[in-house]
Amino acid sequence: MLNLEIITPRRLLVHEEVEMVEARGELGEFGILPGHIKFLTTLDVGEIRYMKGGRTRHLFAAGGFGEVVDDRIVFLVDTAEFAEEIDVDRAERTVKWAESALREVSVDSSEYRMQELALLRSIARISVASKKL
Amino acid sequence: MATLREIKRKISSINSTRTITRTMKMVSASKLRRAQDELEKIRAYAVKIEELTGRVIANVPPESHPLLTEREHIKKVLIVSIASDRGLCGGFNVNIGMKAENFVAQNRDKYERIAIYAVGKKVKDYLQRRKVEVIKDLTEIKKVNKGLVDSIASDLIRYYTEGEFDKIYLEYTHFLSPVKQLVMFDEFLPIKASHIYEDTEYLYEPDKNKIIEKLIPRYISTKIYFAILDSQTSEHGARMSAMENATSNSGEMIDNLTLIYNKRRQETITNDMMDIVGGAEALRGT
Repeated sequence: MLNLEIITPRRLLVHEEVEMVEARGELGEFGILPGHIKFLTTLDVGEIRYMKGGRTRHLFAAGGFGEVVDDRIVFLVDTAEFAEEIDVDRAERTVKWAESALREVSVDSSEYRMQELALLRSIARISVASKKL
Repeated sequence: MATLREIKRKISSINSTRTITRTMKMVSASKLRRAQDELEKIRAYAVKIEELTGRVIANVPPESHPLLTEREHIKKVLIVSIASDRGLCGGFNVNIGMKAENFVAQNRDKYERIAIYAVGKKVKDYLQRRKVEVIKDLTEIKKVNKGLVDSIASDLIRYYTEGEFDKIYLEYTHFLSPVKQLVMFDEFLPIKASHIYEDTEYLYEPDKNKIIEKLIPRYISTKIYFAILDSQTSEHGARMSAMENATSNSGEMIDNLTLIYNKRRQETITNDMMDIVGGAEALRGT
């Protein structure tokens, strides 16, 4: 079993024993099973999944760090939500808003980068929300 | 000697002061509860980030990041003093000011320059009055948010990396209980490995330096955020117990004055009666 902790600056989301964890690092998706090597990664915007007793839970997570040491996994993420908690309407509104904003601002401005990130986050939120139990 | 009416006026004035201090105590108590909740929310994250940063930087040479590299000659020192804008909270602001002042007094000969980065109006005023250099002050802080914390963090990182300061201390009040708070005075930048090398050589993704580059700013802003929340919690706690004391002191004063008032009143009555009896005796004699 793996001991999984998912912590954000706002709250402790998950602290339990699980069988398998999958998440999205900067270099792509990775999975963790018991006996994993000591591992430290940055996290990208995307999904964290963990399996426990044949059930899979999905979370949206954006940015942060993941550490694996001796079957203990700690994800320190900037923001994270369970799939069930995601406000899909709001995410869809943000997508529309960001898309229109992206057409207006110049490609290399910081505003563009901000909107692009907002768009990525919202798309990821919507995709995670579609997997709720 | 105070007349009866003067004593009575004084009693009622203290009574209204007591009403105010009691209300302030209750307001602080509810603010304290909220601040404690906020502090609890971030505690787990802050502790883990600190542990993680400690482990990671114990595994890298200090030259690998400018914020880890200790300067050979320390000439210019900055103290980040976190207190509050408002008074009526016992020694809360003064304790922070005094510790910084003492540090300046003790190390004046050692360093070329010691400056303060003040968070809160009271601590800024206190140190400026004592001719300590305040390089920047943040006052009128309504809400502690990411923007505020990030701006402090980027100021500090800039000061250090541009060589304006060679060492940065962080000073704030740590909350233990509503009646007990502790002034913390810690070395902040450069970041020191909290423990000696331990064997946690990781598999890094994407690579060690990229992770350190992301982790260090995150560590710095988390630490600042936590220190400010800790300080605010302490402030409410300090104000609550200061007001609690004020309330019970006014109670005592009212009791004392009431006693004097009653004694004085009785005296007057006795005197009046003596006069009447004396007068009656005198009349009977004729």
